[in-house]
Parts: sequence; structure tokens; C-alpha cells
Amino acid sequence: MLKTLLSGQQRAIKTASYLTALSALLWLPQAAFVAGVFSRLLTGEGGVGVATGAVAFLAFAAVRLVLNYLAEGLLFRAGQAIVTQTRQEILTREARTHGVSPLGGPGALAALAGEKLDALLPYITRYAPAQTRVMTVPFAILALAFWQSWAVGVVFLIAAPLIPVFMALVGYAAQEASERQMKEIGSLGDLLVDRLAALADIRLLGAAPRLIGQFEQAADDLRARTMAVLRIAFLSSTVLELFAALGVAMVAVWVGFSLLGELSWGAYGGGITPWGGIFLLLLAPDYFQPLRDLSTAWHDKAAGLAVAGELATWKAHEAEALMGTGEKVAPLSGSADIHLQGLTVQRGSRSIAYPEAHIPAGARVALSGPSGSGKTTLLRLIAGLERPASGNVQVAGQVLGEDIADAWRARLGWMPQAPMFMGRSLRHNIAFGAPVSADLIDEAALKLVLDALPKGDLTVLGETGGGLSGGEARRVMLARALAAKPDVVLADEPTADLDRETADRVTEALLALAERGATLIVATHDARLIAKMDQVIEVAPERSVTGPQGQEADHA
Amino acid sequence: MRKLWHIFRLMVQGERKALLRGLALSILVLIMGVSLLGLSGWFIVAASAAGLIGTGAVFDVFRPSAMVRFLAIGRTATRYGERILTHDATLRALAKLRVTLLAALSTRSHDRLIRLRGAQALNRIVADVDALDGVPLRLFLPLIAGGMTQLLALVVLSWLVDWRVAVVIFATFTCGGLAVVLWGIRQARQPSRRAESAAQAFRSRFIDLVTSRGDLTVYGQLPDQVAACQVAETRRQAAATTTDLIERQAGAGLMVISALAAGAALWIGGGLAEAGEITPARAAIGFFAALALMETVAPLRRSVAEMGRMIGAARRVTELTDVPEQPERRVAPSGPVSLRFDAVTFGRGTAAPVLKDFTLSVEPGEWVALKGPSGVGKSTVLLLAAGALVPAEGRVCLDDLDVADFSDGATTLVGQRAALVQDSLADNLRLAAPETSDAELWAALDAVALRAVVEAKGGLEAQLGPRGAGLSGGEARRLVLARAVLRKPSVLLLDEPTEGLDTATADQVLAGLRRMLPDSAVLMAAHRAEEQGAADRIVTLGA
Repeated sequence: MLKTLLSGQQRAIKTASYLTALSALLWLPQAAFVAGVFSRLLTGEGGVGVATGAVAFLAFAAVRLVLNYLAEGLLFRAGQAIVTQTRQEILTREARTHGVSPLGGPGALAALAGEKLDALLPYITRYAPAQTRVMTVPFAILALAFWQSWAVGVVFLIAAPLIPVFMALVGYAAQEASERQMKEIGSLGDLLVDRLAALADIRLLGAAPRLIGQFEQAADDLRARTMAVLRIAFLSSTVLELFAALGVAMVAVWVGFSLLGELSWGAYGGGITPWGGIFLLLLAPDYFQPLRDLSTAWHDKAAGLAVAGELATWKAHEAEALMGTGEKVAPLSGSADIHLQGLTVQRGSRSIAYPEAHIPAGARVALSGPSGSGKTTLLRLIAGLERPASGNVQVAGQVLGEDIADAWRARLGWMPQAPMFMGRSLRHNIAFGAPVSADLIDEAALKLVLDALPKGDLTVLGETGGGLSGGEARRVMLARALAAKPDVVLADEPTADLDRETADRVTEALLALAERGATLIVATHDARLIAKMDQVIEVAPERSVTGPQGQEADHA
Repeated sequence: MRKLWHIFRLMVQGERKALLRGLALSILVLIMGVSLLGLSGWFIVAASAAGLIGTGAVFDVFRPSAMVRFLAIGRTATRYGERILTHDATLRALAKLRVTLLAALSTRSHDRLIRLRGAQALNRIVADVDALDGVPLRLFLPLIAGGMTQLLALVVLSWLVDWRVAVVIFATFTCGGLAVVLWGIRQARQPSRRAESAAQAFRSRFIDLVTSRGDLTVYGQLPDQVAACQVAETRRQAAATTTDLIERQAGAGLMVISALAAGAALWIGGGLAEAGEITPARAAIGFFAALALMETVAPLRRSVAEMGRMIGAARRVTELTDVPEQPERRVAPSGPVSLRFDAVTFGRGTAAPVLKDFTLSVEPGEWVALKGPSGVGKSTVLLLAAGALVPAEGRVCLDDLDVADFSDGATTLVGQRAALVQDSLADNLRLAAPETSDAELWAALDAVALRAVVEAKGGLEAQLGPRGAGLSGGEARRLVLARAVLRKPSVLLLDEPTEGLDTATADQVLAGLRRMLPDSAVLMAAHRAEEQGAADRIVTLGA
């Protein structure tokens, strides 16, 4: 999964990796010059002069700097490209599907598309370059070490393989810890979105302290998980640093003793020169550095794998694809006749079969039946928001499908049972950018509602219509349906939880729309509302379908 | 910057000891690193000098080499301790900050609180707080530790090497480093802030997209919302690219500074050694120490890129946490009390007052129903009684004390929206009465005729979905009524308690409430005949 993510930017990452390796390798001549300066200072011969050495040191530093600068730029752009592209993919796919994601609610999805994707960046920008450096720099230094002293070479040779072995061991623990941390981030987001929506009412119960206590627990869990990840990272880098430090210290001690003449083994011929000693000492830390970088990147990889795992879960989930594109198109022509033909849907293991029905244009129809019998689903089927398992919905003489779904929806007004408000002005929530006419406000009886809001129709409301009463929120949904100038209105429990008077007002507004020729389809329990309809379609509960679908359908 | 310092101090408050120890260890790590490299350089050069002139036999090799090993291991261990300490303290401070934020949000006025948008608050509590971890870890701690180490290095190097070498190293790192960092911060501040706000906009819009996609689809708005998300992402990407460019330039600047310091130390120290003023070994100390001192400025690079984001987050977090001190409030009354409205007037916005000169009293054990057309202010009366709204004129009292002087929950309001959360049924019930036994929970469920429903769902441990999904409107209504009963309220405020229930159930629920709460003063907004029938007295509003 990680590999696939990176595939589009493979070349840039490769180039940048080579650049960083080259930059690391240039430390070798840089160190040689420094050693040369001290060598001449000590022996008075050979080596290089102070000025030459200092200038060469600075010149190489400049070249390395430019290489690093370029590499970092390439890596950043590659990382951005990958993250943005994946984000786009999540965005477009989430916009084209319906139903619940296995990752959780919108909070968890937003966490995946947001900060979790950003957690891929360190992996993208660090892992491959560190790998390339590990494949080049230590070998070059090892060769130089053996050239100067076999003892130093052997020290390097023994210390190095311990590092990857240790790293692999730590890697597994790190990935597991990262996965747990990622999960915790997602659930903290969901917990907050859920709790915040109810905060006002919870406070009235005096339960805010308890809620805050629960959140404190969750926040502390996240801290503990994060710390667990960090602990592994710190511990492993400490162990690696220890190997490196011991390696460097052994080299330094051996070089010191050899230069003093205390040791006569380990080098070739006449022992090590001052230049060789200083050169080796300067190289020793950089022999281990790429390995240490790789171990850091190993943790980035663990985090990256955890994110990639979530992405894979998200991708593997076969969400139901949206019919059409959900864009605004010219309305479907023809009479708004609706035929339900042998419709069934699958709900987990049970299947719901709907009766055959014909809803002529301008009809007033109630869908009735107990809770959970599938009334809402039928409205969604008629709106093309869901696909039937079998059978079809015919609208204006055509089978509702990909090609006409958007055009059909352009003729609909839609009132969901639970009003949801987007984080934009009330005005935008009603007419989506079109002006809200005074007539519309009158029709939905919104004048007083708007006056009482701090910024009128420019007020931003809470997600579920916080700031409005239940009836007022319903009336806004009504206004939104009216603003679409619909030929067919689909209303889900438009009067539920409303007092009788408000319910009557909503009913009147809907009937007034029907007077003007619009079809009215309401899913409802409300006997008073049902009484005002011309036709009732009974949606029976738990129709377990045994025979061919639709045979046991009953007509209203 | 002042905002950041404020946040830093806020974070330090609870974690002073750990952060101070962490700071001490960071300084120690830097010092050990500089000592290690300086000592090693000196050791090699001095040893080869001694070997060359044949005094190797009297050269003390054991103490320096033991010291090198000690420093190498000590630094590694110290760094581990420092990282654990500072990260743990920072994460603790962040967790605390999140809680403080939520607590501050919960003290908002009722009118503002009900309009609170989850996604936005989520941005504050999650993203903004996350952005602040760099304040101690990548800004103040490295800055202080680096500065202290530089000062110490100035003194020690003047003594061990030469004052000229020491001053050049010090000046290059401090002046140069500061100049680079300040330049970077100035440049990156705007784009980094913009990147963060665009990321937050993306999050809010994306959450809207997911929650409202059915509605958006029907109204043909789906592509528009996708486009709005994309606009935010494009903006974020552009700003992030600018920020990265500046960060890389600052990083390059810091590398130049480090190279210049080391180069200058080599040049000046080497020159002094050539002139015979100091030994080559002492010149080596200067050069190697300068190489190691790079670590004092390197961590500042990331703070350049994060500065705008951190400042923005600090500003928003400070604004939110900066709530006026809550006055000490009385504990909720436990015995029977009466609820009184004394000539109360209340209005919102530009609309005419909803309530004018409203007077009412409800005695313990009395049930009063408010009736009147929709919008006449029944819910407003209840919110005033709950202390969630403050009257423009007049007083709302429990016995003789203002209801606003009591802590939240002095009265119990069951509103039209059922405030249920994603948790078990039992936890939803216990939200307001944590110490309740299972038997009491069942008794309350019996009172609202919900036992059968709960048993059918699998008992008290059955899980509810987000916002209490999984219950029908009527069931949710009865569950919050049961929750209210568990609080044994002295004053119970009900907003159309039996809406969505059939007549038989409604009567059963009202009788159950009365049985469970014989001494409560009950005020309810009542539409239905069943509700009005259950009241001892009916008050008509707007008449």
C-alpha cells in the first residue's frame, strides 16, 4: 500500500535520494582537508596550509548545502503531490458514495483526510533518502578505514550489522504502537464531534463536568498512546546512538594509542599517520549517521504503514456508489409519474420488499408503517440516493438510473427527518447561494425566526440546527425544499416531534405546494397528516422475501 | 511572540518541575556533545604531537580516553532522559490544554453554545492544540538551552583555546543564527498561518460534505461542496509550498552559519597555532567544538516553518481560554423549592421582546402547564427558569435567590432535542447522575414506560450510535425523561415531554413522573391535552 502511494513520485524521490547521498559523501574530502590542516600544523610538512584548508572546507560545505537544498525541495514537492492526490481521492470518493465508512463518522474520516495523511510526509521525505545513504556512505567510509587501518575497519564492520537487526526488532513494536495511536486519534475526533453537538443540553443537566471528565480520560489515553510510540522511537535511537558512540570512542582510543606509539598493531607498515588518525576520527560519526537516520525513518515508516493500513481499509470497503454525480443539471422532462416496480433492498441479512405502486403527478401520498420498516429508505430510493437490490423506480416513464438521476433530482424537494446545517450562513443553507425571496420567507413562516437570530439569515447555526427550535429547523428545511421549486416533494416525518400547531403549519405549506400541482410523498406516523393524503402506501415490516419479489406486494 | 510566551507559561504551569528538569538535561546534552567532540579532537592531535616528539610514554592517555567513553555514553543516556521528560511534560500540558478548552467552551452563553459547530470546535481542540507542541519542544526549550550552552562555550573556549576563536564562534552562532531565525519567522509567518487556516477550512468543509451528502446530492450541490474543499486544499498546498521554501532557505542559512563558524575556528585557530601562540591540539578543540555547537541552532529550523501556525493557534486558544473568572456559585438546592418569575422581560435581536412583565410562581409538588401558540415564548420561559438565559428585566428565583447564582443543573430541563451521545444506554442515563445503581436506572425506566424497549435492545449496556442513533424519537424522548428523574430535581422543566408518544403511553409517562417526583416543582411547555390534563394549573402565554 505504501509502495503504491509513492509510485507516482518514484523518480523525484530517487533523484533526491542520490543528491543527499552525494552530499553526505562530500564530507569525506571535507574531512580530508581538515585533517590535512592539523597534519601540517603537527608535523610541519605535507597536508595543506590553514588558509587553503579553511577555504576548501567552506567550499565543500557550500556544495553540500546546495545539494541538500535541492534534494529537500524535490522531496517536499513529491510529498505534497502524494498527500494532495490521496486527499483528492478520498474527497472525490466520499462525494461519490453513500453509507457509513468502516473507519467511523465524519470526525474520523476528516482525521484520515487531514492530519493522518500529513503523517505520511516524514516517511516520504526521509525513508528512501536514508536508505540510499545507508547503501553508499558506510561502504565508502569502511573502504577508507581499511585503507588506513584494519583495526578501525574491523570495529566498523562489527558495529554496523547490529544496527539493522535491532532496528527490525523495534520496527514491529513501533508499527503496532503507531496503529493504536492512529486509532485513538480517530476516536477522539468522533467522541468530540458527538459530545460537542449535545454540549448545550448536557450543561443544562449540570453534567458538563462529567463530560469534561470523560474527555480528559480520552485525551489522556491519546497522550499515553503517543508517548508509547515516542518511547519506542527514543529508546531505539538511544540504543543506536550507544552503538555509534561506543564505535566512535573505540576508534578514538585506538587512534590515540597508536599515535602515541603505545599500540603497534592495527595499521599497516609504520603505523598510522596523524593525518590518517584525524581523518578517521572525523569520519567515524558519519559512518553511523546514515544508519541512525534510517532508524528514525524506520519509525516514520511505521507511522506511514499505520496510515496506509487505514487507507487500505477505507479503500477496500465497498461503499455504495452514488447514482449520477450530484450536480445541478436541467430538470428531466416529462410528467412526474412514479412507478415502483418490484423494489427490494438488502439490509444486512434481512431484505425489505416494497409494494408495487403508481404515484401519478400531483398525487398526495403517505408512506406509512412502523419505525424501521423502511419508509426512509423508500424515499431515498425514489430520490436515487440508494440503489435497489432488485426491481426499479420509474420516473417520467424512464427507469431511474445513472443517466437521469441528476436530472430527476433537479425536480425534487427534499426534507430529511433530521435537519443538518452546513457551516455556512442560514441563507446559503436555504438557497445555496441564490437569493432568498421574501415570498419564500413568508411561505415557510420564517420572518420571526430570522429576526430573533443575531445576524439574521447570515447567522451560522450548529450542525443539527442549534440556535433554532425543532419546529424552526424543520421550517428551514421546508423553505429549502420550496426554494428548489419542486415538482415532487419527498418529506421524511415532516411533523414528527412538532407541536400540533407547528405541525399544522408545515402540513399546510406542503398542501399548498400540492395545490400548485406538485406531487407530495411523505413518510409519516402522523395520523392527522395521513388523513390529508389521497393515497397511503403501507410499508410492512420485516417482509422476508421467499418467492419472487413483488408477488406478495399489496396495493394501497 | 507575546502570545506564544503566554501559551508557553500556561503549559509550564502544571509541568514546571518536569520541564525545568528537561531544560537542564537539554543543556547537559549540548554541553556533553561539545565536550565530547572537543576532547576527542584535542586527544588525537595532542597524542600525535606527543608521539611525534617521543614523549608518548609520559602522556596520560587513560584519563582523556575514559572521559571520552564517559561523555559518549553519558550523552546518549542524558538525551534519552531529556526527550522522555520534555515530550511527556509537553504532551501532558497539551492534554490539559485540550480539557481547559472544552471546559472554557462549556461556559459559553447558552445562545452561543447551541450554535457551536462540532467541526470548528474540533479544529480548536485538536488541530490548534497539536500545533502548539512546538512551542516548548522546538522553540523555547532549544532557544534557552542553546543560548546557555553558547554562553558557557564562550567562557570555556576563551580559557581553553583563545578568546578570539571563542568570540568568533559565539558571535557567528548567536548573531547569525538569530538573524536567520528572525528573518525566517518574519517571512514564513503569513504563509504558515494561511496553510493552517486552509487546512482547518478543508476539515470543516469535508465534514459538512460527509454529513450532508444526501441533501447536497438532491439539491445538486455536491460538486460545489467538493470544489469548496478543493479550493481549501489548493490554498493550503500553495501556502505550504511557500512556507517550505522559506524553511529550506532558513535551514540553508543555519548551515552556512555553522560552516562559517567551524571554518573560522579552523582558520583563526590554525593561524594562531602556525604562529606558535597556541598548540595545534588547542586549535583542534576550537574547530571540533564549533562543529558540535551546530546542534544549538539546528532545531530552530522547524520553528521557522511552524511559527505562523503556532502564533495563529496560540491566538485562537488564548481567546477561547480567556474567559472571565466564573463567580463562585451556590450548590443546587436539594430540598423542595419554589420557582418564581418576577416581572420578567426578555427579547432577542431586533425582534420585539418575546416576554414582557411575566410573573409566575410554581410551588413544590405543583405542576404548571404553559400553553400558547408556537413561538410565543414557552421554551424561552423554560430556558430562563434553567438560568440558561438571563432576563433583561425582572428576576427569576428559586425561593428568594436568583437562579443564575446557582451552579448548572440547579434545575433540570428536558428540552425538545434529546441530548444523547454515542455510549451505552446506562452511561447516557448516568451522565447526569453518576452514582446511580442499576436498580434505580430500571425504576426510572419503568416510570417512563421504557423497560420493555430497553430489554428488547439488550439491556442497559446496549450501545447507542452517534447522537443517540438507534432509538426512535419517542424512545429518545422517554430516555431523557428517565435521565431527568434520576437527578431527583427540585425544579423540573419539561419542553413538550410527551411529543411523539401515543395517548396511553403519554398518560403512563406523566403519571410515572409524578409518582417518582412528588415534591418537585414542575413547569412544562404543554401542547397536548394529555399534558395539560396532568397539570394542576394552566398558564396561557400570549393571551
